[in-house]
Amino acid sequence: MTGHGITTPGRDFHERTATAVADPVLQKALQNLDRRLRTAGESAAAHPEWKERAAAIRRETLLDLDGWLDRLERSLAARGVEVHRASTPGDARRVILDLARARGARTVVKSKSMATEEIDLGGALEQAGLTSVETDLGEYIVQLAGERPSHMITPAIHKTLPQIRDVLAREAHTDLPVDREALTAWARERLRGEFLRADIGITGVNFAAADTGTLVLVTNEGNGRFCTTLPRMHVVVMPVEKVIPRLADVGVLLPLLTTHATGQALSNYVTMISGPRRAGELDGPDEMHVVFLDNRRRTLLGTTYEEMLACIRCGACLNVCPVYRNVSGHAYDAVYSGPMGKVLTPLLSGGAEGADLPYGSTLCHACSDACPVKIPLSDMILALRADTPERSSPVRRRRRLFWTVWARAWSTPRGYRLTTTLGRMSRGRVPGLRAWTSTRELPRPARVSFRDRWAKEHR
Amino acid sequence: MIDALAAGLRANSCTVTGPMNADDARTAIVERVSGLVACTDDIPVPGVVDALLARGLEVLTPDDPRWTARLVDAAVGITGARLAVVQPPAIALAAAPGAPRATSLVPPEHVCVLRVVDVIATFADAMAEIADGELPSALTWIGGPSRTADLEMITTFGVHGPRAVEVVLVS
Ligand code: SF4
Repeated sequence: MTGHGITTPGRDFHERTATAVADPVLQKALQNLDRRLRTAGESAAAHPEWKERAAAIRRETLLDLDGWLDRLERSLAARGVEVHRASTPGDARRVILDLARARGARTVVKSKSMATEEIDLGGALEQAGLTSVETDLGEYIVQLAGERPSHMITPAIHKTLPQIRDVLAREAHTDLPVDREALTAWARERLRGEFLRADIGITGVNFAAADTGTLVLVTNEGNGRFCTTLPRMHVVVMPVEKVIPRLADVGVLLPLLTTHATGQALSNYVTMISGPRRAGELDGPDEMHVVFLDNRRRTLLGTTYEEMLACIRCGACLNVCPVYRNVSGHAYDAVYSGPMGKVLTPLLSGGAEGADLPYGSTLCHACSDACPVKIPLSDMILALRADTPERSSPVRRRRRLFWTVWARAWSTPRGYRLTTTLGRMSRGRVPGLRAWTSTRELPRPARVSFRDRWAKEHR
Repeated sequence: MIDALAAGLRANSCTVTGPMNADDARTAIVERVSGLVACTDDIPVPGVVDALLARGLEVLTPDDPRWTARLVDAAVGITGARLAVVQPPAIALAAAPGAPRATSLVPPEHVCVLRVVDVIATFADAMAEIADGELPSALTWIGGPSRTADLEMITTFGVHGPRAVEVVLVS
């Protein structure tokens, strides 16, 4: 999952957060997040009973995920859509590259999707000699800059307008003004050409209805519509948990997704696709493929972390997270950032990546409260600390060392006396704990220990 | 309900005219547009194409063998709507042989003609109804003009789709 350039340097999560906090340009860009937060938070608070309904629908899906997937596959097949099952990112990439090669495709237009990031599809396509263009404006900027998205709804949130101008001007080979309208107009023209030329449109999907085989896609810019309208072939990368039982469920889930994501009552465009173009229609793809991506998700079923699969990728937990709001997405060094990323990254990589992420949390519970489908993120972060294999977590190794020494010392009266005396002399400044004590106070030890007082009074 | 829809769509930066009868709607549409006009055949007001031609405008219809190539040059796309919902405010367009998806996407301006009888109170109600019926290959919900908040989270219009959306309500 680390195929892209990383812009926040540092060996581990703690170092990267320090770098991010010290970056004045990033901090300025992050102030813009507050604007989103205010609107999104206000409109989301209005729907407590909708959260219950949405959570119930998602739990119902997870109860029989395989059953719903089979049903979805049958519905899609009945509409002329081919389904491919991929258990690893490599499988998914292979399926898509084979399709592209078999059709002699040269240019691919992509609509923002976390799933394609997860399998690093853009990189794989480029490596295979295809041109792959991100068409969401923010994602396009991030792609041109050679970076990766830092927020799943607004991928270029870490960039200020002058920085964006620099990125686009380099691509344009001319000077561009630091002006929102002008920069948007330039990108519109440039990307319009890509849409017209493209052989394949690749998108993710927000919801896939098992009963009707309908794929639901939300965008604001209209790039998702272009990707599903002009190219001859449409390929959908669908993480398995995107399935929902019924198309009618979208009536509950979608407004909840958009209010939590952007504060909009509904995203500007919602496309509901039920199969390729039909006889006599003048646009839409001739051919559609859906890749079901598992990538360890089904191993979470029946575990403490099953409910993580209820996630609808709204980004609300990122927006409210005190850690995310100060360091932004790149410090996580992972496709999924923020609280949901802290849970998902170690789980999807089988513990190989992001082992330290669960420690970068204050456990303030803001994420759990914000989540529209009521995922207990805080509890999962805590559970992951216990479940993370020690070898992959420096934080856990350090803690382990500390407790081992402690346990040894306090197993003998001499060791106990020695350490408590040292503790009293240190007056709360313990050298090895500086990272911890720099922002917290250790309790001040008493001047005279209870043991000494007892010994004195009962002499 | 219609007033609430009009208010909601305006809040989404659409222009809204009507409700009015078919004749007035035709006149309103024809007077508003200029340049090459692309029309689908699901506009719920009869005679729009003829009226545009009578005004000397160039019209592109889906029976034109060069539809796809010429659509790129269209200044306006005029379409009907399958339905609209008040809460949240949005219109829905169904793809069909006479109603290509790109009509409401490629031209910089979109005029959508909506019958007031097709207005439904909530999105949840509409979804329940849609899920029970025949589904088009693509059902596109539109809230307003194409927009992005990717540049420092301030809204900019017309990034890929139309910069302007006008909804004409027909009684
Ligand atoms: S975990 Fe909840 S709040 Fe976070 S992105 Fe997923 S659905 Fe949204």
